[in-house]
Amino acid sequence: MPTFLAEWGVFGVDMNVWLDAFVRLQIIVIVMTLVVLSLIYVERKFVGRIQMRLGPMRTGPYGTLQTAADALKLLTKEDLRPATADRWLFELAPYVAFVPVFMTLMALPFMEGWGVRSLDLGLFYIVAISGVPTIGYLMAGWASDNKYALLGAVRSAAQLISYEIPLILAALAVAMVAGTLNLTGIVRSQDAVPYVLLQPLPFLILLTATLAELSRRPFDIPIGESELVGGPWVEFSGIRWSIMFALGEYAGLFGFAVLGALLFLGGWEWPYGTASFWGSFDWLYQLVLISTKAMLLILGMMWISATFPRLRIDQLMAFCWKILLPFGFLQVMINGIVLVYEPPDGLRELILFATSSALVLAMGYVIYLATKQPSRAERLAAAAPARSAAL
Amino acid sequence: MIGVLRSLGATMSTMMRKPVTIQYPTEHRKVADRDRAFPILLWDFQIDEPFCTGCHACERACPVECMTVTMKDNPKAADGDSKRRKIIDEFYIDYGRCMRCNICVEVCNFEAIAMNNTWSGHELSSLDRKDLVLDLDQLLTLSKGERIEPWLP
Repeated sequence: MPTFLAEWGVFGVDMNVWLDAFVRLQIIVIVMTLVVLSLIYVERKFVGRIQMRLGPMRTGPYGTLQTAADALKLLTKEDLRPATADRWLFELAPYVAFVPVFMTLMALPFMEGWGVRSLDLGLFYIVAISGVPTIGYLMAGWASDNKYALLGAVRSAAQLISYEIPLILAALAVAMVAGTLNLTGIVRSQDAVPYVLLQPLPFLILLTATLAELSRRPFDIPIGESELVGGPWVEFSGIRWSIMFALGEYAGLFGFAVLGALLFLGGWEWPYGTASFWGSFDWLYQLVLISTKAMLLILGMMWISATFPRLRIDQLMAFCWKILLPFGFLQVMINGIVLVYEPPDGLRELILFATSSALVLAMGYVIYLATKQPSRAERLAAAAPARSAAL
Repeated sequence: MIGVLRSLGATMSTMMRKPVTIQYPTEHRKVADRDRAFPILLWDFQIDEPFCTGCHACERACPVECMTVTMKDNPKAADGDSKRRKIIDEFYIDYGRCMRCNICVEVCNFEAIAMNNTWSGHELSSLDRKDLVLDLDQLLTLSKGERIEPWLP
């Protein structure tokens, strides 16, 4: 048995490796379900307040039981399958879309030494796994035998694969600075300064790419209620819909928020997460730290989703391939050049901060230039004045 | 870029504002004074009888014929307590038929009928149409109980 397992235990109890993993998984599954239920409530309340409404108020005190009621309704609803649907693809698609989201949670350390497993290639594993739900969406869209579902599936495939790359580059930049792909190691190396200060550009890229990966509002053309009536999920109902949509989306939101908190906000380490004066209550403080940071990120993402309208597909792709991707590469290259010369400790942080902030400003300037570009219609009109005059 | 931050600020400022929602069945918005729900009869608190003399003016003017009025001799006039020689005996209004046109209020010579301008004039749903035919007692309960201020033109 590896030594770290013996060190961790579940509650200090010595256990068989498999049993230990099983107990940890069960805890994650239960906590995750509760988190998803409460996140749906939080989002409805938050967006409601942004639109000067109250949000759910009737079921339970201040509507707190609304999501429980909704879940109950969805679980007891009839599970419909269109007659022309591809049976096995249709029935398996929700699980393909949702199981990987849960699998990412297994590698996340929520507290010092508490995750399901601490993988040496944890970041790599998460990045690899988080690309799999795309297949589930494609399966759902194809199997539904519905043109809206297929359109939504193809859009989501295009978007998710494109935005996966800036996400990886942002994570890679942090991993380079930390010098490890182990998430616990990355968090431990942030005991003095969280990486959001050293690497603001990857943080912004990760935030944007996460919104796109989750198909949240500024990037929700795959779902697009008003044009695609729900994207790949049009034909789903009942438990399959709730698994795919509610569980998948909100578990993904939580997972990415925790990942962002671990990579950029110092996870459970900063500030004073592992200081000795906490005694045996350090895990409690670490739990508060990580959940506060994750919740801040989640609320930030909900705020952004509630503010911006849906982007057009060409704007979406252009933003990914022309802005996020080149700047992500630039950041990785600059990090490589800085780190290969192994500057002394204080200087290293200063250079990283300066270069990344300069890149943020440069990216802002490039976006500004792009918004000032004349539109296609204007360019065409300017290019052919003679033709329009002749007409 | 500035526009992005400004729009984020706009949503945050609306979030800080008080929600405009009114939780309807438990909370009621104030009804306007000129709100025109259904006609009710008014109570003369000085003499302790309805203002209505049963003159049939409203019944004749009613375009949908939702009213039924009968008149009787006023016992209080015989005693000298009241100047009304005739008084209303029976009064039925079918709220299911009334179209809330306000004509009965306008033709009434005694200002005895008015449009209900409280929430009780709106929350009248019932399972049986017969429950929507109100008799004299029901028409007078509101004005007898609290001294309401009907809006009269």
